[in-house]
Amino acid sequence: MNPKGTPSQNNSEKLLEGKGLCKGFPGVWQHLILDHIDIDIQAGEIHTLLGENGAGKTVIANCLSGFYSLSEGQIYVRGRPVSLKSPADGIRHGIGMVHQELALVKPFTVAQNIALGLPGSDFSFPLPEVEAKVRELSETYRLSVDPLAKVEDLSAGEQQRAEIIKVLYHNPQILILDEPTSLISADAARLFEALENMARRGYGILFITHKIEEALEVGDRVTVLRLGKSTGTRPTAQTDKNELVKLMFGEHTPVHLERQAVKSDTIVLDVRNLKALAADREPALQGVSFSIRQGEILGFAGISGNGQSELAEVVTGMRKATGGQVFIGGKDFTNQTPRKIINAGVAHIPEKRRAMGVVEPMTTAENVVLKDLRVPPFSKGTFINKSYITGHTKEIVTRFGALVSDLWKTPARILSGGNIQRLILGRETWRIPQCLVAVYPAQGLDAKAIDHTWQLLMRLRESGTAVLLVSEDLDELMALSDRIAVMSKGRIVGLFAASEATRDKLGLMIATGGK
Amino acid sequence: MNFEYAGGILLGSLHAMVPITLTASGEVVGESAGLFNIGLEGIILISAMTGALGAEAGGPMAGLLVGLGTGFVIGLIFAAVCTYFKGVQLIAGVGINLFAAGLVAFWLIHLGVPGHHALAAEHQLANIATPFGDLSPMIFVAIALPVLIYLLLFRTKLGLKIRAVGENPQAADVAGIRIHLLRLLATAAGASLAGLAGAYLSIDWLGSVTKEISAGRGFIALATVVFSGLNPLLVLLGGFIFGFFDNLAVWVATMPAVQKIIPWQFIAMAPYAVTLLVVAGVIGRAKFPAAMGIPYQRE
Repeated sequence: MNPKGTPSQNNSEKLLEGKGLCKGFPGVWQHLILDHIDIDIQAGEIHTLLGENGAGKTVIANCLSGFYSLSEGQIYVRGRPVSLKSPADGIRHGIGMVHQELALVKPFTVAQNIALGLPGSDFSFPLPEVEAKVRELSETYRLSVDPLAKVEDLSAGEQQRAEIIKVLYHNPQILILDEPTSLISADAARLFEALENMARRGYGILFITHKIEEALEVGDRVTVLRLGKSTGTRPTAQTDKNELVKLMFGEHTPVHLERQAVKSDTIVLDVRNLKALAADREPALQGVSFSIRQGEILGFAGISGNGQSELAEVVTGMRKATGGQVFIGGKDFTNQTPRKIINAGVAHIPEKRRAMGVVEPMTTAENVVLKDLRVPPFSKGTFINKSYITGHTKEIVTRFGALVSDLWKTPARILSGGNIQRLILGRETWRIPQCLVAVYPAQGLDAKAIDHTWQLLMRLRESGTAVLLVSEDLDELMALSDRIAVMSKGRIVGLFAASEATRDKLGLMIATGGK
Repeated sequence: MNFEYAGGILLGSLHAMVPITLTASGEVVGESAGLFNIGLEGIILISAMTGALGAEAGGPMAGLLVGLGTGFVIGLIFAAVCTYFKGVQLIAGVGINLFAAGLVAFWLIHLGVPGHHALAAEHQLANIATPFGDLSPMIFVAIALPVLIYLLLFRTKLGLKIRAVGENPQAADVAGIRIHLLRLLATAAGASLAGLAGAYLSIDWLGSVTKEISAGRGFIALATVVFSGLNPLLVLLGGFIFGFFDNLAVWVATMPAVQKIIPWQFIAMAPYAVTLLVVAGVIGRAKFPAAMGIPYQRE
């Protein structure tokens, strides 16, 4: 390793290379988390990794830094094959990673956090030395941070600078940054300047983002990921927004399923100027208004985390609205309990199917009648009607093609995600609800099951159900929706008929937030 | 009240402080690393027995070392279950306690008089004569250890690492620390002090093994850890407070004047009642490692 801050002056040397990287089990799993990815990082360049949430960006970063193991493929450091079994191995080979969820011990000071990872005797106390070097690194890379401050007292931007300095302390040659701008959107320019400064000194930098503008603003090359596959690597100077959108979201024209026009003018779900906070008390919905008619599917597009989840939760009574109103069938149901909203005819296919959709330790039959259990004929007085429930569950399991070995013995915990989703779809739709809130309904299903789900939603539409569909999959949105709303930062930034939507138009609006 | 009695209660408190301070300062190390060992009571009990056997085989010093070793081995098993095998800490700890109660009762039957085994004088650790009275050498160990542990946890890199694996194991993992190994060693080292405390009970302070010899001291030590907020120096203070009330019952039993007013059986409840009050008062404010009790899994 070279002395301080000058890892290599030999530009275009491949510092780190991954060939045929796979995560998951080829031939066993339907979709691999990483599917034969080739990627390399050269000395003196910023290589941007662009993709939607769930495309596999973080997994690549974790594999390249030794945090995750690979199922297949080989990593090379300066052309030599290496096997990385732990982050410590990564550090030894000069690979430093800045995690999206920062890897800092909150009650410790910045210097203490750095001292943790240093070699040397366990009974030494290197803090004064660490403090001096942190000050020096702060200065060199213009990443100001106080080594004596406790991490929990620092702002998000400061914490991130502390994390970067922690990684730089080990004198890496390769720096991997996983979505560094997600915490510090306002401070991003300052970070980019520091990264370019480092690249000039010969570091190889892998910069991960889901924002197209950032991919175009920073970096020398950009590699785009889509559903675990690499869709291409381009020199940043020779690409543009349109090409990146195509690589990110795919190129073929999706089918808009044939249908009759919406017949009814009766509004089922009417949302007016809705506001709500996210779990971290930050505003998640900032005045959302829309209405859905009988027999209409309104699709919500957008990168996840822009308020779609919170919208579905507020409508179904799981999250408090801080402003605005929700009308169901003409009556005000703002901030009513989920039970009252269910009784008003709203069904919910939740985002987190294991956490919110089923009670994992309970059996299949119990989960299928979870919402109906309290009314006859599912129960009589205090006692449940087991034989009726058995018949009902059997019908739902058969009709929706779930694979369950025993209705009363198989706990939901051991079912696959796809089978759980089939049970939830069955439970929520057998009654033909007045309104259906479906969040990522086809997530994790195979092609045949996706087709079934789509047909199911179309049949519900024919029967007059108003459907609020949240999805990240443009194919799904364009196939099913009558109208598509694009959400960004808690607002609807675009609303148009699905028949007029094109992939480019939609992708661009999603990626740029309607600007 | 005469002066001698006041001196007597102080000396008694110091002796009663030893097992609680030793056990609690060891547990501070384990809890700092993220493992909560409710089986301390059982470790004290088994070590009181193995320590006595060791002392009878090779003298009091050998007995103390056997007690230390017993604690280490049980701690190692407990920690292995809770780290590499992702066991639930509470269950593993309760398992130690149940096992200990059965094992010691069984062994005492084998040794002769069921429920009780007295050690001959030559197998007991001798007290040191000081100007203040006869003191066990273990008192000095129990005062020195929390100070050493304080220095270890807050003034060395090893201490930083131990606290990091308890607070944010993922960050420690990224820093290249072997989480499971460090948690294992910290917990076993901590449990060895509970073993030392057990051996002290039988070889030194009480001079015999009974099947109730631990008398809840493992749980009082856990309460002392809560009281200390994982600061070993406060363990020393907490240990003395609990030791004082533990000793009070013995003192009252020897004071006919007081006994007329309050029966000693009532005072015997004092250490447990004080534990309850202190923990009830402190528990809300005590700050424990964020990852305590949670097994670590990387992916």
